[in-house]
Amino acid sequence: MSIEISENLRKKIEEIKNKFPTGKSPILPLLHAFQDELGYISLEVEEEIANIVGVSPVYVREVSTFYSMFNNQPVGKYHIQVCGNITCWLRGYDEIVEYIKKKLGIDIGETTSDGKFTLSRVECLGMCDHAPVMQINGDFYGDLTFEKIDEILDSLE
Amino acid sequence: MGEKIKITINGKELLATPGKTILQVAEENGIEIPHYCYHPGLPVAGNCRMCLVEVEGARKLQTACSTKISDGMVVRTNTPQVRETVKQVLEFLLINHPLDCPVCDQAGECGLQDYYMVYGQYDPKFIENKNKKSKKATPIGKYVMLDQERCILCARCVRFTRFITKTEELGIFNRGDHSELDVYPGKELNNRYTGNLVDICPVGALTCRDFRFQCRVWYLEEFDSICPGCSRGCNIKIYYNPHRPHKAEGKRVLRFKPRPNLKVNRYWMCDDGRYGYKFIDENRIMYPLLKENGKQSEIYYDEALKKFADYLKENIPDRVIYLLSANSTNEELYVTKKFFVENYELENIFLPAEDIFTGDKDDLLITEDKHPNTNGVKAIFNILYKDFIKLDELREMIERKSISLLIVNRHELLDEVLEYVRENNVKLVYLGTNFNKTAKVADLVIPISVFAEKEGSFINVDKLFQMFTSRLEPLGVSVPEWVLFNNLSEILEYPLSYSSYKTVLKQMISEVVGFKNIDLNNFDKYGEMVEL
Amino acid sequence: MSVKILTKHFGIKDSHKINVYMKNGGYKQAEKALKEMKPEEILEEVKKSNLRGRGGAGFPTGLKWSFVPKDTGKPVYLCVNSDESEPGTFKDRHILEKDPHMLIEGIIITSYTIGANEAYIYIRGEYYPQAIRLQEAIEEAYQKGFLGENIFGTGYKLDLKIYRGAGAYICGEETALLESIEGKKGKPRLKPPFPAAVGLYDCPTVINNVETIADIPTIVEKGGEWFASLGPERNGGTKLFAVSGHVNKPGVYEHEMGYPLMKLINEDAGGILDGLKLKAVIPGGSSVPILRAEECDINLDYDSVMKAGSMLGSGAVIVMSEKTCMVKALSRLIHFYKDESCGQCTPCREGTGWMLKIINRIIAGKGRKEDVDTLYYIAKGIMGHTVCPLGDAAAMPVISFINKFRDEFEYYAINKKSMVE
Repeated sequence: MSIEISENLRKKIEEIKNKFPTGKSPILPLLHAFQDELGYISLEVEEEIANIVGVSPVYVREVSTFYSMFNNQPVGKYHIQVCGNITCWLRGYDEIVEYIKKKLGIDIGETTSDGKFTLSRVECLGMCDHAPVMQINGDFYGDLTFEKIDEILDSLE
Repeated sequence: MGEKIKITINGKELLATPGKTILQVAEENGIEIPHYCYHPGLPVAGNCRMCLVEVEGARKLQTACSTKISDGMVVRTNTPQVRETVKQVLEFLLINHPLDCPVCDQAGECGLQDYYMVYGQYDPKFIENKNKKSKKATPIGKYVMLDQERCILCARCVRFTRFITKTEELGIFNRGDHSELDVYPGKELNNRYTGNLVDICPVGALTCRDFRFQCRVWYLEEFDSICPGCSRGCNIKIYYNPHRPHKAEGKRVLRFKPRPNLKVNRYWMCDDGRYGYKFIDENRIMYPLLKENGKQSEIYYDEALKKFADYLKENIPDRVIYLLSANSTNEELYVTKKFFVENYELENIFLPAEDIFTGDKDDLLITEDKHPNTNGVKAIFNILYKDFIKLDELREMIERKSISLLIVNRHELLDEVLEYVRENNVKLVYLGTNFNKTAKVADLVIPISVFAEKEGSFINVDKLFQMFTSRLEPLGVSVPEWVLFNNLSEILEYPLSYSSYKTVLKQMISEVVGFKNIDLNNFDKYGEMVEL
Repeated sequence: MSVKILTKHFGIKDSHKINVYMKNGGYKQAEKALKEMKPEEILEEVKKSNLRGRGGAGFPTGLKWSFVPKDTGKPVYLCVNSDESEPGTFKDRHILEKDPHMLIEGIIITSYTIGANEAYIYIRGEYYPQAIRLQEAIEEAYQKGFLGENIFGTGYKLDLKIYRGAGAYICGEETALLESIEGKKGKPRLKPPFPAAVGLYDCPTVINNVETIADIPTIVEKGGEWFASLGPERNGGTKLFAVSGHVNKPGVYEHEMGYPLMKLINEDAGGILDGLKLKAVIPGGSSVPILRAEECDINLDYDSVMKAGSMLGSGAVIVMSEKTCMVKALSRLIHFYKDESCGQCTPCREGTGWMLKIINRIIAGKGRKEDVDTLYYIAKGIMGHTVCPLGDAAAMPVISFINKFRDEFEYYAINKKSMVE
């Protein structure tokens, strides 16, 4: 089975192949590019990347399941990743994550039934000066309070 | 070889070749260093951490598998610190490993069990729930079963598919303690060497679907042999069950495993050869058969020999064809030559070339000639490939030469030949180990023992002369061909008088020109090169 | 007013833009280095500077560069480690956001010195906005001719590429980083061979932290001796300290090596939150041994922190007030290392998971007194027995937390509740 590749993604693939011509180096950038476009890394994506790079799909899957940022399952439109590491915990992770769970009605690792939000706990995001923090689809939100969470989540379409 | 350097292991001074690792030098000198991920046929991974040893001057314990020796290096493998560390690494390996050895097929040849007896024996501290993995006893290929919970992630199998077969079917997915060995979803092992994965798996994660639960390994006995599956001549061990044949429906041999020989097969063998063992116990010709009134029935061996002798006397050699087998041992071929060529003065003695060039071969071990000893025929009969006949020329030859007796050693003749033979009253004698269509229509069938039931030698594709032994009794009244022809020669009153296999071997070595470099008193167990 | 090297542009508007950077003297040092200095001369200055790797290990930078073999016929690579994933560490992020050109200028000089024509910045995948900013900066530098062919008309060529990680702490380990750029799982390599000889694509490679490289233009400008004069002996220069946790003003503060820890906490970071008392500090990122409050009267340089029984590490100072439950705090760290273990070596893979199960059981009120000893036993079994330092990083916090707060652990295990909360 093959997947449909948009013009934009096709262009990105070419750029990546030109930028990282050596060996298997294109694999991570390709996984990023496909995930940006398709939301997650399906088996078809792994096989497509394996074809592009000329390796066994096993190889691509080893990589896609090793790195925590690659989703091997579909995620919601907004992927909320709350840092649960030491500093964020010192600054109130437990309360923050409980609040989000209650607000969205989902547990960690779950997606809201409308497919809008997925909630994950992640490790240190390198934003400890703004603990507690979360990242939603690449954007950081720090110094979280209940009010701030309301504001952020309510503003997401 | 170059200069050797001095290294001390456990107080013992040793001379070793530079470039080797501590583990290699230790093994060469009989010092055991426990290990799982290291395998001499694979690139070093250094991940299991069982081979940590003390190296004087190093801040931390070093992995013996990856640490190259240096001149004056002082290594200790038996200090309390090393033992304590190995014990703890083993404990780590066991925390998520099921402790249900009685139901595991690997029991008895499991690396975890073996080292536990030496380095384990601790009060278990682990009281938590074990991690669950997704695949329990799931087939991942025709011959291989995967049980992820038993996997210790040494990655030998992954390296095998990555570096040896280069087929890359196996990977370790996810990370940390949720790492899982697996094939790609929806795919399975797709190479011709999968049995080796079972061999190199040090635990019960990869087991053999053919062998699983057939027999507890401690009931097995073994002996060294050579795989007869193709002209590579892979060195093997034959495992058989002498104690409980009633449990195996009379099957004696339960598996082949490769035996390392760096000149031939390194550490591996192909699946065709490995799982091709079944002919040893199945469909065997046990007793001679004589066809009378169109029906074959069993006769005594002596009668059969006499009948064979009668045939030979009744037909003049010009009207007899003998079809040699490249499955015969050198010693058998040698006596065949003595008997038929030198004494009976047979000229029509041929090796059919039909299946020598099958085209089925690869870059690793598999050769296209599916016989173990074509080069033996060439050496002993001094013939070249161009002299081999084709089975589809046989009918024409029988007709042209007015052949009246056709002796076939193991071959399957074409239907048109069988038909011609029947219609023209050509006597057909079949010498063989297993039934085939030809055996079933032959006028006289005489059983011969299979390679695993006799001592002998083969010459492989690279002209390597390799000897093998046996610990199996021939089935029924079958005997090695050299015995058969020796006995026949007595009936025909030109006795060859070989008293034993050894006498055949010695005479053959001294007479066959290509074997002149072989010294039986100083024979390399990994084989000797001969000239063809 | 103490000397600022790395943060000197942080207050300037649009400090990340090339024209702002150049207006403040930017790229002058790269030009000087390429036009007026021989690689050996730069190396000599860096050696003299006593600059030690800012990623955490503190290895002398000049010495590291000098390990690159000459004339192997293979290309030499520079890989800049911007994987910054050690919990509590966020200093490099500030450089990436506020002064990416200082980093790029450092990369040009470093690459020229070690003979590299291709450099990679390996940036952790989560730093997505930072990667975009950095990419913009790189493009600006290409446009100005500071990257690409014939830089400053000297004939020297350098290509600089960003390689994004994807969520794996282990890729901050230098050989795992190389594996990752090669498109593989971040599994640390066995050493030897060391990356200086066999690194990226099997070629000689230098791997340096962002902060280390950002120091280079200043060392070229002011000389190694000047840089070395900033800190105590063998600890040259200034350092970015990332203060987080229970302080009023978490943030990045630049000081000369040897700056007092308590001053950093009380003055720069505004003291302990809510006026509480200090309980403990992890002075160099989550992997290093924790210090009790009474042990914190130390200076922040590699040797002094080492003498106090911990490590300066990445300079990430994690501050904990008296209200912190050490059992729960440690559970966060164990959770982290368990999640981030690559799974290659037995002790780290199995040991971190085991430790997490125990500490979670203690927190769930199902502890036993002997659990504390078992935790300690497991940590000791991991320590020093793995391919890469992640094993040690996972073990050290456990060992030090138990050494310093054993009573709290035993209390929790026996009484099924926190001694503090």
